[in-house]
Amino acid sequence: MIKNTPVLEVSNLVKKFGGFTAVDNLSFSVDEGQVLGFLGPNGAGKSTTINCLLGVVEKDSGEIKMFGKDLASHRVEVMGKVNYCSAEYILPYSLTLYENLLVYAHYYEVKNAKNRVLEVLDDLEMTDLKSARIRSLSLGQRARANFAKALINKPKLLLLDEPMASMDPDVVDKGIKLIKKIQKEEKMTILYTSHNMWEIEQVADDVVFVNHGKIIAQGTPLELTRQELKFEAKEPNLREVFIELSRRQMVEEENGGLST
Amino acid sequence: MRLDLSVTRIYALGLRHYFLTFRHLERFADLFIFPIVGLLLWGFLANYVQVQSQTLASFFLGGMILWIIFERVGTSVGIDFMYELWDRNLVNVLATPLTTIEFIGGLVLVSIVKVFVSLFAMVVIALFYYHFSIFSLGVSLVLFWINLVIFAVTLGTFSIGVISRWGHSVGPLTWVLPFAIQPFAAVFYPVSILPSFFQKIVWFLPLAHVFEGMRYTISTKMFSFDHFFAALGLNIIYFALSISFFTFMFKRSKKSGTLAKL
Repeated sequence: MIKNTPVLEVSNLVKKFGGFTAVDNLSFSVDEGQVLGFLGPNGAGKSTTINCLLGVVEKDSGEIKMFGKDLASHRVEVMGKVNYCSAEYILPYSLTLYENLLVYAHYYEVKNAKNRVLEVLDDLEMTDLKSARIRSLSLGQRARANFAKALINKPKLLLLDEPMASMDPDVVDKGIKLIKKIQKEEKMTILYTSHNMWEIEQVADDVVFVNHGKIIAQGTPLELTRQELKFEAKEPNLREVFIELSRRQMVEEENGGLST
Repeated sequence: MRLDLSVTRIYALGLRHYFLTFRHLERFADLFIFPIVGLLLWGFLANYVQVQSQTLASFFLGGMILWIIFERVGTSVGIDFMYELWDRNLVNVLATPLTTIEFIGGLVLVSIVKVFVSLFAMVVIALFYYHFSIFSLGVSLVLFWINLVIFAVTLGTFSIGVISRWGHSVGPLTWVLPFAIQPFAAVFYPVSILPSFFQKIVWFLPLAHVFEGMRYTISTKMFSFDHFFAALGLNIIYFALSISFFTFMFKRSKKSGTLAKL
């Protein structure tokens, strides 16, 4: 059996904020071309983990490797092949979509930047919005604009932190179709966090559930459904798994301790 | 340790601020309107006093032009950083391969380019309307300029360090700080005018040496190397302290998670 190359390897990652442990000895890896759903309740440590992966939060200990290289010592090289998208951060309001993408194309040292911007706009069917300022775009269009930014450097690893939070179901549906299409075409590796379990069921090959900064369950969406809901499900039901795991954890805490 | 520097990434930062300047009226005003209004104000005053003394008028105009160089660079570095915060864009930028040195260096370069644009407009107005040429200061102008820019960058870097640690609430520091220093910088009057207590302290400000040096050059047509080297020496110390402070604060901000929330 051929072993896949991990594009992202996180080993024993620890991040504390004062007395609060946000990420507690977390280890996981994402293979090339794999989409990993990274789930957990609010405050579980997902965004902190992603911020550590981006280098905007400094880890306390542990190791982060991307493409086999240590992030801390090869940051510039590695981040050129990574991109990131979160609904929390919107591209600068006063610039047009084209201007924003052109700026980011240069940040990522994309060759033929102007052509690449037009190509991405075309791929995302946003050419007609090229000259629109971000502030004039609808929420759904802004999400697509963020996604266009995330694709500008043809990333090998894409970190999506609730990219479609607060979007209506139609926008989410279109967004998911787009992500699936591009992931398939580019064989992109994706780490995807969301509170919308349907999104994860649609895109994720594997899922990691975290709570209190620790992994509490992992597997394919269907495996997890069968394992955690204790029945031979035909379809994944991550929503029920999420509720079950969160409530089970709460009961365990109330009974005096955490089980991992 | 390897130093990663990319002209393309610094250009990206410049491009972002180029677009921003033409999209925000206040950025455009910063570039042309405020410096020109300042020059007009002090130019009229210079016209009024030149009846008494041509030299005094030159002090005012020279002081104003050099002050604007300092103030524009000093505030621009911090304000351009603040734009990334106001736009909720800092994490997006820091998630690119852009290094911290490129980020700060880029902001400094952007502010220097902007000051040249402002300076051009001011020099033209001063020359044709007030018949004052800042170039009459000769080579010494370049030497004053070097000290002003170093101190402005020092102040800008300090402001960014404070903002990256404590966020938006301390943002106004970036435009308050240069003005808080102005009364003690002896821009429009000699240090000897200040109360004796302040006279001892202000010599620790590179700006006081620059403006005293400027007045010396206008009056005597000679260059004061004493003031130049005093300003340069202080600048080297303050610049080193400011970079260390910024590095420490930026690291702390990453450690505490504040940076990701700015």
